[in-house]
Amino acid sequence: MIIKGGFVYDPKNGVHGEEMDISIEGGKVVEESRDGDEIDARGMLVMPGGVDAHAHIAGAKVNSGRIMRPEDGRRGIEPRTKLLRPSTGYTVPNCYAIGYRYARLGYTCAFEAATPILESRHTHEELEEIPIVDKGALTLFGNNWEVLECVRDGDLDKLAAFVAWGLSASRGYGVKVVNPGGGEAWGFGGNVKGIDDPVPNFGVTPREIIRCLMRANEILGLPHSVHLHTNNLGKPGNYETTLETLKAVEDIAASCDRQVLHVTHMQFSAYGGTGWRDFESKAPEIADYYNRHGQFTMDMGQLIFGSATTMTADAPLEYGNARLLHAKWSNHDIELEESSGVVPLVYGRKMPINAIQWAIGLELALLTNDPWQLIMTTDHPNGGPFVNYPEVISLLMSRAKREEELATLHDLASKRSSLPSIEREMDWNDVAIVTRAAPARILGLAEKGHLGLGADGDVTIYDINPTDVDPSKDHRKVKAALAKARYTIKGGEVVSRDGEIVAVPQGRTYWVDASVPEDQAAKVRADLVEKFAKYYSIQMSNYMVQDAYVTHPRVVKAGVI
Amino acid sequence: MREIAIVPRREFRVPVEAEKISPDVFAPLSIEEIERIEVWEGNRKVILSDLFDISGDDGPAKPEETLISLSGDFSKVKRVGENMTCGRIAADGDLGMHAGNGMVGGEIEIGGRAGDWLGREMRGGKIIVLGNAGDYVGAGYRGEACGMRGGEILIEGSAGDYLGEHLCGGKITVLGNSGDFPGIANRGGVIVIGGDAHLPGAEMASGSITVRGRARVLPSYQYQETVEIDGLSLKKFLGDMVDNGKGELYAASVENGGA
Repeated sequence: MIIKGGFVYDPKNGVHGEEMDISIEGGKVVEESRDGDEIDARGMLVMPGGVDAHAHIAGAKVNSGRIMRPEDGRRGIEPRTKLLRPSTGYTVPNCYAIGYRYARLGYTCAFEAATPILESRHTHEELEEIPIVDKGALTLFGNNWEVLECVRDGDLDKLAAFVAWGLSASRGYGVKVVNPGGGEAWGFGGNVKGIDDPVPNFGVTPREIIRCLMRANEILGLPHSVHLHTNNLGKPGNYETTLETLKAVEDIAASCDRQVLHVTHMQFSAYGGTGWRDFESKAPEIADYYNRHGQFTMDMGQLIFGSATTMTADAPLEYGNARLLHAKWSNHDIELEESSGVVPLVYGRKMPINAIQWAIGLELALLTNDPWQLIMTTDHPNGGPFVNYPEVISLLMSRAKREEELATLHDLASKRSSLPSIEREMDWNDVAIVTRAAPARILGLAEKGHLGLGADGDVTIYDINPTDVDPSKDHRKVKAALAKARYTIKGGEVVSRDGEIVAVPQGRTYWVDASVPEDQAAKVRADLVEKFAKYYSIQMSNYMVQDAYVTHPRVVKAGVI
Repeated sequence: MREIAIVPRREFRVPVEAEKISPDVFAPLSIEEIERIEVWEGNRKVILSDLFDISGDDGPAKPEETLISLSGDFSKVKRVGENMTCGRIAADGDLGMHAGNGMVGGEIEIGGRAGDWLGREMRGGKIIVLGNAGDYVGAGYRGEACGMRGGEILIEGSAGDYLGEHLCGGKITVLGNSGDFPGIANRGGVIVIGGDAHLPGAEMASGSITVRGRARVLPSYQYQETVEIDGLSLKKFLGDMVDNGKGELYAASVENGGA
């Protein structure tokens, strides 16, 4: 296939809107294609397929959201067709809708942001049913007993061996850490209040957990860094915890060419104030820190007004949400590993807190100078569903749109944030970075997020001419064009045309197979035999994710040997 | 007034999803066009004239001047009058589930029995039922925080269980009895039950429920005083205390002594 004459944005390879052809054959970008297929992309915008590095799209808590919200299932209904399965849902869509909707937006890869090892079979059962996109899942380690014990004993090699085992057991891609220590404390109705607050029964602190997991991550040379949901997330004044956390790990170096720590949905971790009454944005402080520390990355966690379903392994946070909002609440204990919670809510334009939160996400993105440190996300469906990405991009590209929106919000959004004074407007190159190149680089996906030779043949063509549309003024056109890609091409096959899904290939599932020395692996196995015998409700043989659960694997090798 | 008459051609064995039977949909269409409207009978897509004889005034009219009269057994015909904004639907017999879903205005009159979910999530307009009604009258569908938000439902017979679940406004009057849990999770609507009721107002936050007969009152209701309303002496309660509710519950007589 040859994609002819589009304005190509491929930031990784230094291509900034040049008119050029892209050739794909055998699912990969090649020098020259001879199959005769041709797509005329003249006058249109061509980018690599979008990469979502943080979304909650599969697994037990997503399904809890669906079960709790039958009313959400009434939205977004599309009947089945000869080719497609039926779609339902808005904040918690069914598996099919997730794949179709990503493809319509021009996204070809999406990562589930949190799976406990114990629930990973479920996660993969759902990932298998998400059509079209490539996917992967980040495995939760931040409250696992084996991790806490290794941290307590200061045994980094054993910790690395356990992380390798956990990734294999869950067919996971990277190390996710959610409110380290807090999830374990929640088992006793408690939480940790900061990074030096010891975890009950283990005596280790979140600071030690984060540092040890980061060092184990680098011992193994994993493609992705530790992916951190900070302590005190969602609480006024938490920007201090966030900055303290970052300062606590400044001395750790990455073992390969990427960030050393990814802080996720930063919007929820950039709050000032001593309570909800004097709640304010501290996004400028966070962005300023990022501008001086290139080794850290973040994603936005942008808030979208309307319905959302919050779901996280941060169970004490969800308890707080449910009490504050008198909302439906689901709480789950994941044995030796985590806790979790789900709370549906509605973000209102006239709600002062929500309006400020909305501004914070945008401030973070616009005040961080280097777009390679940033991923555009809504923390789907915590900040809002991913189908709203075009809205977020048009906000990033247009100050006029931001002003229009601010005028409809509670006026504290303007008073308690710096958003009104921010002039920056992202250009198409910035957008290609924060939606494609940066997430692929941050995840360590070498064949994603760019269109160089050997890259996956994932291409999006948007029906918008970057030479005659001014995104600053014509933000409506931008949003409309991004919402329905003219073509989405996955592995060299057109999967979506003008919003209509025309092919439904099965995507691959990334997971990391990390090797460790046998003596360390043996120590971990001995511990696990005891843990399963004493504490787990299931046998280890029913616990591991077997190959049958991952029918189209893409195994990335890492490790010590 | 443009009058359109609909009569079933046969007895339906499976439900018919007939949300298109609404003055808003019919008004601009000729009889011939109405006959060709697609509906689902079970899992088969059919057109209205496959199922019904349709007759009446031809040619377009304003929806507010459109009357749809249904004669015969419509008890398996669902969603009649969904989202209607004006006009009138009159059924001389029974009407199936979900009649008047989300209706905004206009009037539905049902001569026989109404199925479950009558007027669910309605926002305005009026529904009158001469017979009994099923469960979940004026309720919110599964998971919704709000059922009926406005309008009025009058049931001359009795109503089933969960009458007005998640009511957020509007008024429901039942001249007969109601089943279990009328006004559950009421958030500001008004319910009047002429006869008896079992465990009214569980989780009520605000609004009022009046039981002019006998009620079994939940222990989480607090007795206030006895008041005279429309010549009837009623015991007034506040609750549901479980949810710090400020709802008002009136009952003429209380089973088991109540709270």
